[in-house]
Amino acid sequence: MATYDFIFDSIGLRDWCGVKESSGPMTMAELLAGSKGSDSEGFLDKAMSLPFPSLDELNEACSSLARTRDLTKAVEDAFLGAKDSLKIVLDPLTQPLSWILEGTLWLFAATPWWLMIPLILLLVHVASKSLQLVGFVASALLFLSFIDHYSFAMQTLSIIFVCATLCVLFGVPIGIVMSRSDRMQRIMIPILDMLQTLPTFVYLIPLIFLFSVTEPKLYGIAIILYAIVPVIRLTDLGIRLVNKEVIEAADAFGMTKSQKLYSVQIPLALPNIMAGVNQTIMMSLAMVVIASLVSAPGLGVLVLRGIRNLELGVGLVAGLGIVLLAVILDRVTKAALARVNASNSVPRH
Amino acid sequence: MKKLLLAGAFGAFAAPGVAMAECGEVSVAEMNWASASIITKITEFLMVQGYGCEVTLVPSATTTAVTSLAENNEPDVVPELWVNSAPLYNELEAAGKAITAANVFSDGGTEAWFVPDYVVAEHPELATIDGILANPELVGGRFHNCPDGWGCRIANDNLVKAFDFAGHGMEVFNHGSGETLSAAMASAYENKEPFFGYMYGPTAVLGRYPMVAVDMGPYDAEIHACNQTVDCATPAKSSYPAAPVLTVVTSDFAERNPEVFDLVSKISFTSLELSQLLAWQADNGASSEEAAVYYLMGNKDNVMSWVSEDAAAKLSAILK
Repeated sequence: MATYDFIFDSIGLRDWCGVKESSGPMTMAELLAGSKGSDSEGFLDKAMSLPFPSLDELNEACSSLARTRDLTKAVEDAFLGAKDSLKIVLDPLTQPLSWILEGTLWLFAATPWWLMIPLILLLVHVASKSLQLVGFVASALLFLSFIDHYSFAMQTLSIIFVCATLCVLFGVPIGIVMSRSDRMQRIMIPILDMLQTLPTFVYLIPLIFLFSVTEPKLYGIAIILYAIVPVIRLTDLGIRLVNKEVIEAADAFGMTKSQKLYSVQIPLALPNIMAGVNQTIMMSLAMVVIASLVSAPGLGVLVLRGIRNLELGVGLVAGLGIVLLAVILDRVTKAALARVNASNSVPRH
Repeated sequence: MKKLLLAGAFGAFAAPGVAMAECGEVSVAEMNWASASIITKITEFLMVQGYGCEVTLVPSATTTAVTSLAENNEPDVVPELWVNSAPLYNELEAAGKAITAANVFSDGGTEAWFVPDYVVAEHPELATIDGILANPELVGGRFHNCPDGWGCRIANDNLVKAFDFAGHGMEVFNHGSGETLSAAMASAYENKEPFFGYMYGPTAVLGRYPMVAVDMGPYDAEIHACNQTVDCATPAKSSYPAAPVLTVVTSDFAERNPEVFDLVSKISFTSLELSQLLAWQADNGASSEEAAVYYLMGNKDNVMSWVSEDAAAKLSAILK
């Protein structure tokens, strides 16, 4: 006798429900109920333990109704059914990401260290114009190389390089579109919230069914989806924060929409956009360990090995390596941001 | 569920009988994979209903469980511990902190390299490693290897050298986690694509998809022992032996609670039994608790032989 029998009896659906058969597997509760008489329960006991009329409870009363597990099964079947057509669309669309990641990984690995480290230092100098920072980056990189983490660090760096670049390439235009249309912003904000909170494996395991797990694009997608959010948000915010008076002045000069965008809005929003780029780089670095769970090479692999084998030293040193990379990338982008801010504070219009 | 709670409350307050007062609180690790979850549920049921224990289930995984054993002397009972993946356990046992209660799989766990059955049906020669290495393209030309940090990774890396995969044009793909390894196997089977890779069992994937274990030749204990070390100088060919899979308890618990320790040391299954149970669970979309009930109802004689006479009397009232 199920709790919610009366609903189906009272609205005359008993026939539709069919005969009560013990369809599903026996639960622990049913097993235990068999040994103890339920008649001894008073009304209060029953009221206190009144179950919520969920699918499972209603199915007890009416076996024609689906149970929750039928629902999850249906979702799974729907995905498996749609898989093949999804694959035809998504697979070629994302294939370039695999090529770029493979190519960059190869390039970073093939470049000898005595060329790679000076190149990075040169880049740091161009971006920051600070000899102090170049000195810090040099000592950090030499330290990593000295403890034999050079190749792991370069793998991580090349993945970050590709993913962060792609994030900026896609994120800034999306942010600009969002800043120009309130409706677009209303659509995008829940999507961005979802990207930041949805546990990675929830979409990674279905992706494995779509693509081969051996493709680098799997972790590329995971990193990009997570790290693209700040650059979109801050581009949108930066452009919306541009002074109304400045826009009016631009209108008064008879600037076209694109002239306004390229010579007024983007330059004035640049500090915010750069802050977004900085956050995007940091967040893609934060995904390194999770990406290693789907076979990304780099320092994340060492962290995972440390965790699994309880080789605390391996894990801690690799973790320190990730922190060093994070500090380097953060300082360099911050220094570049500071230069942008300094040049922006001088009125140019 | 409400009945379960009521029963628990009943056990705690209404009837602090002789046997019940002895058991007290027991923490049992619940590993994060299907077979271990069922075993934990069966253990919990027998402890609560037969011995009146207050059982706390601790969600856990191989390494976390062993670390917790080492550092906190908890949980009291760890069912289905794959010792090969947790070498730290051997130190704990040597130090007397934990003891092996039972081989939870009487015939050991399966470790092997697998190919899907449809591939073998089409090309019977692919059931042996020589046949696979002669035609790597028939199995996708790629070997799906264990993630870094698993015990099998070291053995596989040495076997890959011994069987000369590189010379036969067989690529090795190192997975990042067990999840992607089993997802890769499952998706290959769903798409009816060729697949060649390592898997251990009983697991849900092996229960659900009929995979064929590749014949890797005879097992040689000495060679395998060398293959299991990172710096093995002479990797050689050997198949996998049955893997030891244990139920582990803390020494304190065994002393404190000899009666329940006796129960835990008797709970044991065959690999086949568990694989069939997992397959039944997958077919019926059942939860691990329902699978536990299914097993208990279907194997009453077996279950009764694990428990003490007192407990058997109580349990027979439930398992009718």
